[in-house]
Amino acid sequence: MTDPDPRLLSMLVCPVTKGPLIYDRDTQELRSPRAHLAFPVRDGIPIMLPEEARRLDE
Amino acid sequence: MSDVLQDDPGPIHRGRTGSQPRSALDADAVRAAYRRWASIYDVVFGGISAFGRKRAVTAANALPGERVLEVGVGTGLALPHYAPSKRITGIDLSEDMLARARQRVVQRQLGNIDDLAVMDAEATTFETASFDIAVAMFVASVVPNPRRLLAELKRVVKPGGHILFVNHFLATSGPRLAVERGMARASRSLGWHPDFAVDALLPPEDLVRATLLPVPPAGLFTLVTLPHGGSMQSETYRDA
Repeated sequence: MTDPDPRLLSMLVCPVTKGPLIYDRDTQELRSPRAHLAFPVRDGIPIMLPEEARRLDE
Repeated sequence: MSDVLQDDPGPIHRGRTGSQPRSALDADAVRAAYRRWASIYDVVFGGISAFGRKRAVTAANALPGERVLEVGVGTGLALPHYAPSKRITGIDLSEDMLARARQRVVQRQLGNIDDLAVMDAEATTFETASFDIAVAMFVASVVPNPRRLLAELKRVVKPGGHILFVNHFLATSGPRLAVERGMARASRSLGWHPDFAVDALLPPEDLVRATLLPVPPAGLFTLVTLPHGGSMQSETYRDA
């Protein structure tokens, strides 16, 4: 359970855009390219709250 | 702030203030309450709620479908009770509680728990129709807007699936009513509403389709099973 389950990732959408998310293993983040946000994954637990997300540079 | 509703609950609630909890809990208050509770939660709350929890999971196990969403999974007290044939995804607003749930999954080697994620139960980030069953135990009375929770669960559960709630609902009469009205004033520090009525969660058209089952001890909690019809007009929630 260190990495989120691939099945979960296929079910998840960005809470802001409802668009797809891409898992970045190196940074342990779920990236929403359209929202320019990265949602942290801490100890295998995705934190899907906009206020916890990191803003991605253009 | 504790005496004002933060969100406008919408037209369905207007003029029905009698069924509204007296004070609103915002997400921060809930999170703060459960951060304080996380270490002692299992001892204090696990005991009195164990029966309701078991009943709900037993009911979920008996329903068709594999994919289960447990909303407000907390420290994962219910997780060991699911049938091996069910695949569980658990969400909670409290990262501290989920960290404990994760420990439990690892320690007890629960192979049917797919994932745990921090999410707002009223605005999850799942695709529509992702689950066969949604189980929300002791959640309906702590979210800011129970009707929005209901609408969200209807969105993520497939048509033909089921939505289960276990909750303490306000007594409609008798000595428990007076006690619970009094307790309501302390709801901000408790993290839940003792004066939460069932019709704050379910509109009349859902209430008639739902099965309500009192759960021991003393019927303090109620198991609500709502079949999810799918194509009904009432299943969309509109903000005012």
